[in-house]
Amino acid sequence: MRALIMILLLAGVLIELPAPALADPLTVEVVADPPVVSTVLGDHFEVSTEVKNTGTKPTGEILAHLNVASIEGSVYVDPEDWSSERSQQLSLKPGESRELSWEIQAVNSGQFAAYVVVVPFGGSVNGNEQLSISPLVKVDVAQRTTLTAGGALPVVLMVPLLTGVAAGTALFRVRRRRGAGT
Amino acid sequence: MTLQVAPPDVRTPEESRAITERQSGWLVIAEQESRDLWTSGRGSLLLFLFSILLSAVTYLTSTNQALNFLEQRESVNLVLQLAVAVGVLVTLVVSADGISGERERGTLESLLVTPVPRRSIIAGKLIAALTMWFATFVVTIPYVWVLARGVGILGQALALGFCVGTLVAVGLACVGLLISGVCNFNKTSIAASLFLMLILFAPTQLPSGLPQGWFFDVLRRANPVDSGLAYISSILVNGHSWTQDLSYLITPLLTAIIAGGALILAGPRLVRLTPGVNAG
Amino acid sequence: MTSTTVEAVRLTKHYGGRSAVQDVSFTASQGEIVGLLGPNGAGKTTTIRLLTTVLVPTSGEFSIAGHPSTSASEIRRCIGVLPESSGYPAHQTGGEYLRFFARLYGLSRSKANSLAAELLATVGLEQRAESSVSTYSRGMRQRLGIARALINDPVVVFLDEPTLGLDPAGQAQVLDLIRTIAKTRAATVVLSTHLLPEVEDVCSKVVILNHGRVAGAGSVGEVISTALIEQSAELRVPIDLVERARNVLAGFPNLAIDQLSEQPDVLVLAVDGAGTSGGSGDVMNAALAAITAAGIPVLRFELEGARLSDAFFKMTSEAVA
Repeated sequence: MRALIMILLLAGVLIELPAPALADPLTVEVVADPPVVSTVLGDHFEVSTEVKNTGTKPTGEILAHLNVASIEGSVYVDPEDWSSERSQQLSLKPGESRELSWEIQAVNSGQFAAYVVVVPFGGSVNGNEQLSISPLVKVDVAQRTTLTAGGALPVVLMVPLLTGVAAGTALFRVRRRRGAGT
Repeated sequence: MTLQVAPPDVRTPEESRAITERQSGWLVIAEQESRDLWTSGRGSLLLFLFSILLSAVTYLTSTNQALNFLEQRESVNLVLQLAVAVGVLVTLVVSADGISGERERGTLESLLVTPVPRRSIIAGKLIAALTMWFATFVVTIPYVWVLARGVGILGQALALGFCVGTLVAVGLACVGLLISGVCNFNKTSIAASLFLMLILFAPTQLPSGLPQGWFFDVLRRANPVDSGLAYISSILVNGHSWTQDLSYLITPLLTAIIAGGALILAGPRLVRLTPGVNAG
Repeated sequence: MTSTTVEAVRLTKHYGGRSAVQDVSFTASQGEIVGLLGPNGAGKTTTIRLLTTVLVPTSGEFSIAGHPSTSASEIRRCIGVLPESSGYPAHQTGGEYLRFFARLYGLSRSKANSLAAELLATVGLEQRAESSVSTYSRGMRQRLGIARALINDPVVVFLDEPTLGLDPAGQAQVLDLIRTIAKTRAATVVLSTHLLPEVEDVCSKVVILNHGRVAGAGSVGEVISTALIEQSAELRVPIDLVERARNVLAGFPNLAIDQLSEQPDVLVLAVDGAGTSGGSGDVMNAALAAITAAGIPVLRFELEGARLSDAFFKMTSEAVA
């Protein structure tokens, strides 16, 4: 009887032992602005994000990273083409916030989602950390035809014509000078 | 027939000297050399051929219905690369003719007995050679305008092409004049310059499937033309900022400084009847 | 009093172990025409290039119009040069060419234009001013080169083989121009040439170079005298007065008299023994004077060994000691 009680007590203690803890979630809030961008193919636009440490401890080194994805699914998107500086490193004290801006160029037409994800950075990363992500910024990029054969034709024809006339005039003058001597 | 000689105007040596100092010899030489280059038809013929090449590239690009934004940006890059490559090549060839050509044509001695300083002669020839680059760039502008206006990189492309192209052209023009100074025959000078361009361009033509380790990266960066073109690509195609890949400009800058410095220091010894820099 | 405009003192130029010019010294004064003579490879062009600052001497000094050899830019301002085998830009016209050089010497565009036109007229090329130089004949190019050499109104003009490749009429034109340059512009002309008869007419002084050294220098007469050439003469008198002429000439103990067998009316005179060419000349002059004083008509008198060419050949055929 006594043995049974000891076993039950031991089982209860074991049950009460805490499970292996998850890493502290990033206490960071990310807000993106504007929420919707309508632009034309090739144009540049800017997205601002505010990263705030809502926790009681400093964040340590963190990395805010911009990503772009097609929400239509039919367009290949290479985020490097949209923005060359997609990562910004920072650290925040408790309660501190920082505004980050992202210069983006719309290099594909269609509908896209741009967002910023904040990840821990550096040697203190163990894996399993929770990430903070901004709300989605919807980007509508309208198609624009920027180059047509008809639009290029004047230049394609006129420049060789002008340089040809210049060359011909120079050669004619040389011949005339030679002819004047004979 | 008896030839008469008119009595001379009277001018004191001081007045002569003052007049000479007012009108710089390098400017007179630059003007005359440029006029010879362009009115003889050589320069304008090269530009005509170059414009045909650019017209072909631009027309083919514009007729490509499937061309997307990024590919159009790459077309702008291609046109600028052609402009820099061709412009620098013809500048190099013209500068390689600068001193050895005068020796071979027998016109150098007449120039040497004038009061124009040797360095001024070099400066004038350098400027005349650079007119080839500037003219090439001017011809390129309308093509870049057509291709770049729709992708929002017109101003950037033109500024980039001009700055990088000028830097590379200055460096190689100085190299061409140095080669010209030490060669007795014009053919040797031009052949050596063209061979130099071949060495500079050859690594860039290797198949892309070959291993591209640190050695090839060093080779690329050590090449003033290729590193200049790589800098242009990094900004126009990859969208980098102007300061992000400044290391690509180290070689073109060093080439211009070293070759230019060598010309300034050795100039008086290069512009002589006999080639080389040994005491004449 | 004319001033010394060219002074060369022991000018020497070595190329490695080879001596192109060795200890060349001479002077020239304002208005003089100095002939620089010598066989091919004698050092004439090298000497001119040294004096015009195109080459740097290995040793020795020189001054041009009072400017020492260390003041190259000052010298270049006051010299005009027509180099040997001077080339010309094929695509330029004669007018453009002269305007370019005029501007190199500091003239404004308008003054360069007027000076170029004036010089082209001077050398007889005004009708071809706007023709390409590639269409000019050899003589026209030489005249263009002389015009260029006069652009800066030089104190000293160096002309290296200005008559090279010209026909006799062209040569005469150029030499006439040279004479006029020295006279009207009071310029010193240093003239390198092979035309010995014309040098005798044009040059007030000659410098003969051989193997890079001065073989003789001075006026034409002095050089001939220095050459110690044995003079001889052919004297033709009326056949019936040959004996009388012999008797007159017998009074000159140093004069050897011979008679041509095929021409009995021709006496061959030769000065015997050592003596200066000047002395031989005096004897010949005295002999001729005696003949004419005796009333004997002189039908022909030809003096051999008294020409510059005789001195030149003698001096340049001697080996350098």
